[in-house]
Amino acid sequence: MKHIGRAQTSLTNRQLAAGKGVFVSDIQRHDMTHMAVVRSPHASARIVSIDSAAAEAIPGVVKVVTGQEIKANMNPIFEAYDTEAMGAKGVVSYALCPERVRYVGEAVAAVVAEDKYTARKAADLVAVEYETTPIVSNTKAALEPGSPLVEPDWGDNILITRDFVKGDPDKAFADAEMTSSDEVYQHRYTGAALEPRAYMAEYDPYTEQLTYWASTQNPHPVRVFLAETLGIEESSIRVIQPHVGGGFGLKTPTFQEEPLVAYLARSLERPVKFVSERTEDLLVGGHAREMRLSYDVAFTKDGRITGFRAKVVADVGAPSALCGWGMSFVCAYSIPGCYKIENANVKLFSVVTNKCPWNAYRGYGKETASYLMDRVLDDVAAKTGRDRAEVRLKNFIPPDEFPYTQVSGANLDSGNYPGTLKRVLEMIDYEGFPARQEEARREGRYIGLGIGQELTPEGCSMPRSTLLGGYDGATVRVNPSGQVTVLTGITSPGNGNETAIAQIAADSLGVPFDQIKVIQGDTDICPYGLGNYSSRSVIMGGSAVQIAAKDIRDKMLKVAAKMLEVSADEVEVEEGQFSAKGAPARYVLFKDVASTVYRDCHGVAALEVEPGLESTRYFQHGNVYHQPETQGRFSAYPSWPNQSMAMIIEIDPETGHFDILKYCAVHDSGTVVNPLLAEANLHGGFLQGVGGAAHEHLVYDDDCQLLTTTFMDYTCPTAMEVPFFEVEHQETLSPFTPLGTKGVGESGVAGALSGLCSAIENALPHLDLRFTDLPLSPNAVWNAIHEAEEKRT
Amino acid sequence: MISQEFDFEAPSALPEALALLARHGDDATLLSGGMSLMPMTTLGLVQPGMIISLNHIAELDYVREDGNELRIGALTRHADVAADPLIGAHAALLAEAASLIGDVQVRNRGTIGGSIAHADPAANYLPAMLALGARLRLQSEAGERSVEAKDFVKGIMTTAIETGEMLTEIAIPKLAAGTGCSYQRLVRVEGNFAIVIAAAITEPGRKAARVGLGNVAPGPVLVDVSGHLGNGLDDAALAAIGDAAFDAAAEAASDLAGDANYRREMARVFARRAVQSATDAADAG
Repeated sequence: MKHIGRAQTSLTNRQLAAGKGVFVSDIQRHDMTHMAVVRSPHASARIVSIDSAAAEAIPGVVKVVTGQEIKANMNPIFEAYDTEAMGAKGVVSYALCPERVRYVGEAVAAVVAEDKYTARKAADLVAVEYETTPIVSNTKAALEPGSPLVEPDWGDNILITRDFVKGDPDKAFADAEMTSSDEVYQHRYTGAALEPRAYMAEYDPYTEQLTYWASTQNPHPVRVFLAETLGIEESSIRVIQPHVGGGFGLKTPTFQEEPLVAYLARSLERPVKFVSERTEDLLVGGHAREMRLSYDVAFTKDGRITGFRAKVVADVGAPSALCGWGMSFVCAYSIPGCYKIENANVKLFSVVTNKCPWNAYRGYGKETASYLMDRVLDDVAAKTGRDRAEVRLKNFIPPDEFPYTQVSGANLDSGNYPGTLKRVLEMIDYEGFPARQEEARREGRYIGLGIGQELTPEGCSMPRSTLLGGYDGATVRVNPSGQVTVLTGITSPGNGNETAIAQIAADSLGVPFDQIKVIQGDTDICPYGLGNYSSRSVIMGGSAVQIAAKDIRDKMLKVAAKMLEVSADEVEVEEGQFSAKGAPARYVLFKDVASTVYRDCHGVAALEVEPGLESTRYFQHGNVYHQPETQGRFSAYPSWPNQSMAMIIEIDPETGHFDILKYCAVHDSGTVVNPLLAEANLHGGFLQGVGGAAHEHLVYDDDCQLLTTTFMDYTCPTAMEVPFFEVEHQETLSPFTPLGTKGVGESGVAGALSGLCSAIENALPHLDLRFTDLPLSPNAVWNAIHEAEEKRT
Repeated sequence: MISQEFDFEAPSALPEALALLARHGDDATLLSGGMSLMPMTTLGLVQPGMIISLNHIAELDYVREDGNELRIGALTRHADVAADPLIGAHAALLAEAASLIGDVQVRNRGTIGGSIAHADPAANYLPAMLALGARLRLQSEAGERSVEAKDFVKGIMTTAIETGEMLTEIAIPKLAAGTGCSYQRLVRVEGNFAIVIAAAITEPGRKAARVGLGNVAPGPVLVDVSGHLGNGLDDAALAAIGDAAFDAAAEAASDLAGDANYRREMARVFARRAVQSATDAADAG
């Protein structure tokens, strides 16, 4: 393989670096209009009346639309999950709320105008009268008997529960040498893509075609959802994904504005564009994470875990059509991660409140599972007086026990967890650290080392979901001139997977890299596929490309063999040249073989093959089990990449401020197709992890009003907070993909969560600190230090 | 998005601007770099009826010496304040305060006059202005007056500037040779507003020292710590300086970046560090 494994720079670099990318907001159409949304200022209220007269009176306003019109003319928004198939409660929601609102920012009306300023100005003049109703502001209140209900029809505020059991936890605790218990909290935060959400639709009444441009990760599912919600045929919709300025899961469908824009374009017969503002994106663009996890752990005096119980209580916000709530399921599903615990029980309670609904965010609950397990392992280490790394090594699933079935039924494909941990400890000089720590201490500096262990299941496939499926498609087309066009159902949100796809295609066909052109993100052109999420682009899309390429290669080998006058199994192809094995001087060019197939189909060489050099194939990932009754288990994730990280921080005990001095990681996603882009992906993940651990926080007050609606208050880490990341790869191949690849896109976001807690604790051993709440803001860290100091004196 | 319409004027000379201000009074809002006004307008927090841009008034963009003072035009951009050789030589504390504002784009655009007149409790200049003993020149069509920096802020984003007046110049006494200064701030992420600011000056021979504190009260607070310098800067002196700052920060408020108690404690830490560091700087010559 010449290209797979090569650090190829991204194919999109030149265009994007020049500022010549085309995003939804760049697209201009003749006679285009702009939409602005009227949003609820209340977290829970009934809509009494809407008076749009003042808005309609403004010159330039084309239309004001309310929930009543939407309910009369559109179907409810199609759900990303089949909630019934998941055993979860579903919700009927519309592109605009017809009767009541359930979180601040929920859309109740919209204005279409000739320009965006007029649309916004008019939207502010739409007078909505509300009658407020009781608010469910947190999970504790939501679970109390007699609590107000977010969804009155549900009878309670619980969206889904699960109870995973393995072995005999009760006996394990009864027999335990030692036990410990604690509760950890993962706060609410989200991704902050540079490009906010943006949609645009245009309808041609003569061809009855709707063209829809979206900053989305999933063009084909969006088409299905639009068709279902609008009640029109899929074939009358073309969804185009132009460049996307970051997705992180948050640009998976379906938000209220997505079908709304399509509806308005159709009813007005004019193009309608919506570009979200930053404050809108922070308010309603999908939240994530907020979970409280309690645990009991039983272990031997030398730190081997014998029993474990965990309870996950997630605040998923108001229920919606989005796939976000699934993160709570996946969190519980992923516990206890990398560890072999024979007796365990994991309970899940997904609770709805009057906050912004969750949408998928990189990590998808797995990061919180990893955070929990890291805190548990650090707890066991502290209680037994054992080393943190030693305790992890003692409890890892051994490398020779894969595939390994976890507590939830999840089937872990392969892994070598001791390998990544031992290597990262070498990278950071774990053995030598105590001496360095002591030396720093003598200089009056406090440094600490933290470790974090991630397990990041990928390739999500959920039963009967239009969005989340364990397959994808690709077309490989060799043109008469020998150049190659690859069309994929997977898409790139800006992370460069088209480059990895081209590398796979080049090797699979045996052509030079620059002969490959990759086209993604157009439902009229590309084969059906589910787009980008769950780190699936290379494992699903890449595998589909490889299978399709093999069809073409096999056909061309036959033709080339005839041309070379040898048998097909005596021919090989590399870098655009078919040659006889062992006789490289005897060759025909790839382009000449292609030309022969297209131009000489009745000639000697091509007579016996079917004309054309095009194949569309689908890859179905193995290791997914949806039929417990026949397959004995339910397992939604086929691919289990893992990572060990270690960081050294310096803490200023007087202020609670810390700096990351060193950050090392060893990642294992099986075969790495492009180490440069894999590492770039990981850098982004690390940064989102550090942001989540220390800086980013969506804060609500008791009335469920969001207080962090700008980047001044929602503080993302900047270049100034970024340490230098040192990354290595271990390659433990997946037995379930043709190349041995596993997902990489979501890795890196978990390690820092507990890693930072652990590092600060380690820097101040005399204070016996224990962090269980995130984020670790300077104020929070100072409070913990201050409290510990008070206790000591 | 700014969806409300407003009238816009961009005079090219100061008298013209002052005349517009006199005519439109409180209905007019002055625009210089726009680093505060634009976001606030975008968020709908202010809805100006008229915006008068000062960006074409070249005569307000200057740094010059005038005897024992430096005079800085209100339209001087932060990047220019940070890089100006006169300011570097005679009021290094101010250069440092400017260099830590926002990010490169903000410093290239934002102006010293705009920031001071906006009087955000967390903004960088005012604590330094207090420590430096700056005077602010306020001009109107009717005349002009000078206000001490310490008398300038009346409350959160409320200043001594009256209707029809404009801040046009900042006058700063040149620091004597041997003066120590240090600008210290605690931030959650770089580029954001500070949680606490301490800007310290120690006079030659440690005859006097003062600390301007930021974001621990509705306005900047000046703490004179000269009385604690008697026996050099020993632990007791530093503790007393910290206590003085803690007491001076009694009005500290809580927000998302830090609670009131944390702010007061950080005032203690940063005042102490700033004085120590200013003294060290002076000793190092």
